[in-house]
Amino acid sequence: MSSNPALNEARDTFFAESREMLQVIEDTLLALESNAADDETINALFRAAHTIKGSAGLFDFERIVRFTHVVESVLQRVRDGAIRLLPPLVSLLLVCGDQIAALLAEAEADTLAKSPAPHPNTDAHGAELVAQLNDYLAPAAAGGALLRTADPIAEPVPAAHGGVASEHWHISVRFGPDVLRNGMDPLSFVRYLGSLGRLISVSTVFDGMPDAATMDPETCYLGFEIALMTDADRQTIADAFEFVRDDCALRILPPHSKLAEYVQLIAAMPEDDIRLGELLVRSGSLTEAELAAGLSAQGQRRVPGEAPPQLGEILLGQQSVEAPVLNAALDKQLRVRERVAQESRFVRVRADKLDQLINLVGELVVASAGVNLRALALKDAALQEATASLTHLVEQIRDDALQLRMVQLAETFNRFNRIVRDTARELGKEIELQIEGGDTELDKTMVEKLADPLMHLVRNAIDHGIEAPEVRAAAGKPRCGTLTLAACHDSGSIVITVRDDGAGLSRERLLKKGIERGLVAPGDQLSDSEVFNLIFAPGFSTAQTVTELSGRGVGMDVVKRNIQALRGVVSLGSEPGRGTTVTMRLPLTLAIIDGFLVGVAGAMFVVPQELVIECIEAPALDLQQDYLNLRGEVLPFLRLDQMLGSVGEPVATRNTRRSSVVVVRTGSGKAGLLVDSLHGEFHTVIKPLGKLFQNIRGVSDATILGNGEVALVLDVSALVGSAATRLQGGTVPAHGSRALAQAV
Amino acid sequence: MNKTVMVVDDSASVRQVVSITLKSAGYDVVEACDGKDALGKLNGQKLNLIICDVNMPNLDGISFVKELKKTTQHRFTPVIMLTTESEEAKKKEGQAAGARAWIVKPFQPAQMLNAVAKLCLP
Amino acid sequence: MIQISSEAGRSVARLEGEFTIYQAAESKPPLMAAIADSEELEINLAGVTEIDSAGLQLLLLAKREALRTGKSVRLVAHSEATLAVIDLLGLAGYFGDPLVLRA
Repeated sequence: MSSNPALNEARDTFFAESREMLQVIEDTLLALESNAADDETINALFRAAHTIKGSAGLFDFERIVRFTHVVESVLQRVRDGAIRLLPPLVSLLLVCGDQIAALLAEAEADTLAKSPAPHPNTDAHGAELVAQLNDYLAPAAAGGALLRTADPIAEPVPAAHGGVASEHWHISVRFGPDVLRNGMDPLSFVRYLGSLGRLISVSTVFDGMPDAATMDPETCYLGFEIALMTDADRQTIADAFEFVRDDCALRILPPHSKLAEYVQLIAAMPEDDIRLGELLVRSGSLTEAELAAGLSAQGQRRVPGEAPPQLGEILLGQQSVEAPVLNAALDKQLRVRERVAQESRFVRVRADKLDQLINLVGELVVASAGVNLRALALKDAALQEATASLTHLVEQIRDDALQLRMVQLAETFNRFNRIVRDTARELGKEIELQIEGGDTELDKTMVEKLADPLMHLVRNAIDHGIEAPEVRAAAGKPRCGTLTLAACHDSGSIVITVRDDGAGLSRERLLKKGIERGLVAPGDQLSDSEVFNLIFAPGFSTAQTVTELSGRGVGMDVVKRNIQALRGVVSLGSEPGRGTTVTMRLPLTLAIIDGFLVGVAGAMFVVPQELVIECIEAPALDLQQDYLNLRGEVLPFLRLDQMLGSVGEPVATRNTRRSSVVVVRTGSGKAGLLVDSLHGEFHTVIKPLGKLFQNIRGVSDATILGNGEVALVLDVSALVGSAATRLQGGTVPAHGSRALAQAV
Repeated sequence: MNKTVMVVDDSASVRQVVSITLKSAGYDVVEACDGKDALGKLNGQKLNLIICDVNMPNLDGISFVKELKKTTQHRFTPVIMLTTESEEAKKKEGQAAGARAWIVKPFQPAQMLNAVAKLCLP
Repeated sequence: MIQISSEAGRSVARLEGEFTIYQAAESKPPLMAAIADSEELEINLAGVTEIDSAGLQLLLLAKREALRTGKSVRLVAHSEATLAVIDLLGLAGYFGDPLVLRA
């Protein structure tokens, strides 16, 4: 098509025209926000979408057609009064308009390019919009738009042996009375058949024409018996009559059809058997002998007093149905069944029902632990065995139930396509969003809570990370920046990164600001990582001057808090001129915890496993000391017993014991937790604390241990944070306080 | 003498493509941008076929067919309606008005040419 | 358009221009009258520029009416358009008229 200059011109018309239509759509939709929709407005909307779709099809712009089709279907329902054009739909349609614009732009680019490029982002965004649009379509309509019904004429082609001698197709057609009045000329169909191959013979049948007095010259009385030599298939031949399908009786017999099929045809047509038989012989489709055999077969079966046999019976009786035909039919049935199976593979479940189930499973786990405890106390071996298998099953149920709530991140990631595009366009930047690991699964409740922090990070990367095209070009980088959203599983956690290939952060500026804000002592030697992570400090970015940093700092402390609320940690890395990467490490679910159980002052606490780096034996410690030497590194540590208050035995007894330090990951570094005892790894369902306890700093949740005891889950970030604040505000100019502040 | 086809569509690009395709196949083409325009161009015009979009401003395709059926000169001229799959209701309405031939949009130029050939070979 | 002339018990129906559904309703009465009025009718097709199924049906009706009443209806001077249709539909035998085949 591109070789034809006239068509190229038409294509340009199409792009211009479609953009006009989109403008109409947008203007109309925006007007609808203030005025009620009248019929003409809705018609105009529909027509615009309709025109774009219709025209796009002519130029092979499949993607535009597919997407616009759905939009059009929704507008169709609006026009039919089935759904109302309420604000949510108006907003959705506005977004859809943008999507069509994007598709148009890509189509235009593809036309100019030698070979079309894939557009995964736009496609993914489109799929998401289609999913939303489908909510406005009735199930039947949505299905109907996608599935074409099987054509009644499309029958399997019978085997090529065992039939009559003729090698051509036989077409028998009788036209309805209104055909001529409807503007259809039977002659044109015969001519068209002639264009499909060679007309061996045509016999015109007008036996139905009444006598001259009653014959209506505008009524059609014609029919034809046609012998056609062609390579075309049955469907193509039948399609010659598609415009009169409802107005004609049509029989098509392939070459070498069974004699019985001709017998059936003879019986089905209104003319006398003998007359029709002669026509068939004349057209060369049947020999005299074949006709005689067929007619006598039909006659023989007529036993006086009985109804004449159905022709289908003759057909089945005379010849067995050929295996290939049978197989084709069975195949088709099987395919239909498979499709039904596919459709029923998914069940939609309300999210709150799932949450309810998971809560109940949590209760079940606790109850089961209680039973276990009783069994142990009773020392009944059989009972213990029974509870052990019960526990095992409950654990399986717990895992499976949690699995149900796992969703892929792709949907969340894909939502950023538009944000990236819109924001980039506003700022005059060129940015491509790349998504990696969209199939990584995460608990639905986590995914929801991730949306905000991700939004902050993406916005920041676009605003302040990626440079303007000219700046990039000057720096020898591609004009178009790349923003990558990636997710992967890593040792029981999920790691989500937001990466840009922008200018990166300036260590000097950050450090200067850190010193200004008193987060860093002048002359301190800080690692790059320590410097970059200053950005997460609360209020770090509230600078007077608008700089690259002030922007990136917006909401970074909020991001950090959000991630910590998910029991995750966030860190930032940056290379000048190469870009910035923010990494979030999160547990897979909030409902379950892989924990490390520790004893502090006689009570049990759980440290989230994903935060634990290692456990070391505590060295001899000075009571004032708040850091220790970890293989040459300064490791600030917290005395949990002091922080959480003495809840158990008096300090005196505890001091005689050897304590341990659990080294945990914080935002940018490490911190130690001084504990009394280590009880190993532990996997259980989390029970949220009641409202009363929600504001307790340092403790996030509770869980039930196998012995029925309650263990509190430590909120490590909050603990370290509060310790840092306390130390900073205090009078202890210890080395550890600063290290702790940096670690936050 | 060449067969003459009238193309009625509000989309200039559709008209352009249909027209180019038909001309290259040997038809003469008359273009109209909506039903009203088409009615105005009927008088005295010899037509073998009309290709007409359903959805058009001013006078839509179905109303146009109804008007066409009232003329003496063109009441038996075959009409191919351009429609979309989502317009089943329109199709019924159109059938009542006497329209029998339908092409579902979007279509390929070759498909359109094939449909035209069934009603009138060039 | 149809013009009937009559001389010595023999009628001539001269068809001119289009002989299609647009002319069918008005052409039937004079054509049938011409058959009723004379023993022998010659239908001259020389001026027919276009013929469709409706026009053809009238020719078939005329021929059948003649056969039924024992009269004679002959098609003569076939134009290109009429020849093509009669040829396409295998009706030369039915009409039984000598056709001038083009080289």
